[in-house]
Amino acid sequence: MTGTRRVTNLALLVSIGLVLSIIESTFPPLLPVPGAKLGLANIATVIALYMFGPWMALEVTVLRSVIGGLLRGSVVGLFLSFSGGLVSTLVMIFLYVLFDGTFSVVGVSVAGAVTHNVVQLLAAYLLVRHLALFYYMPYLILIAVPTGLFIGFAARRVNQSLEGLPLQAR
Amino acid sequence: MRPGDIVLVVLMVVAAAASMVLVAQANASEKGSLAIIEVNGREVMRVALGAGQASRDFTVKGVQGPSTFNVADGRVRMVRSDCRDKICIGVGWIDSPGKSIVCLPNRVVIRVTGKRGGGGKVDSVTE
Repeated sequence: MTGTRRVTNLALLVSIGLVLSIIESTFPPLLPVPGAKLGLANIATVIALYMFGPWMALEVTVLRSVIGGLLRGSVVGLFLSFSGGLVSTLVMIFLYVLFDGTFSVVGVSVAGAVTHNVVQLLAAYLLVRHLALFYYMPYLILIAVPTGLFIGFAARRVNQSLEGLPLQAR
Repeated sequence: MRPGDIVLVVLMVVAAAASMVLVAQANASEKGSLAIIEVNGREVMRVALGAGQASRDFTVKGVQGPSTFNVADGRVRMVRSDCRDKICIGVGWIDSPGKSIVCLPNRVVIRVTGKRGGGGKVDSVTE
């Protein structure tokens, strides 16, 4: 991929992620559990991983959470989404690279969603230092399964449509 | 969907259930709490609070005079205090972590915390 093409694709994916998280922020909360959300923005990371590889996925996640945090103007939110996004992307890359035959994009997405929620809770604990936070742990893991499935199916559908396009052409 | 995906989903649901059990257990062990008694900002006594325990009276020496409090069945209350307004006695029983009885004139504070002696379940309680 040439430099320009690469930067364009990266910018597109980051923008998609940002717009999806803005759209999602207008939804009413799914459950009365902080941190339980659909995670639509993760679609951008999953697409990046499967269409352009691990490095692109990492770049999309880092840029998306930093720019998203700046847009929302919340340093705490930036810290939480950055830590959750980074570790979950690393886990997805790990599964994608080493266990590609075992897990499809759906499984990888579920693993990413669960990791995102768990790491975000740990990061929140670092900030608040309150053990009561861990009451949310079971619910956050549980809610990550359907949201991860949804994101995985959505990303797979997008990937199927993108397959024929000359995105990765040199 | 590959078999690995299904295994992963099942594993995650099991992990959620397991953490639910862990949280419930941690919650149960948190019940036995501690009353910490401070005079003039310094801790002078700790009394373990437990359900069903027999009634006992303790006396600490405050700035103005003795303060006597009573511990029974996991609760604590002030019963006698050498102060003018007896607000501390008026508070009555307290039992949950984060609650406290404050006798300002006598500089006596009784506060209930979780088992580890930390902040308990909440940082502070406003009433």
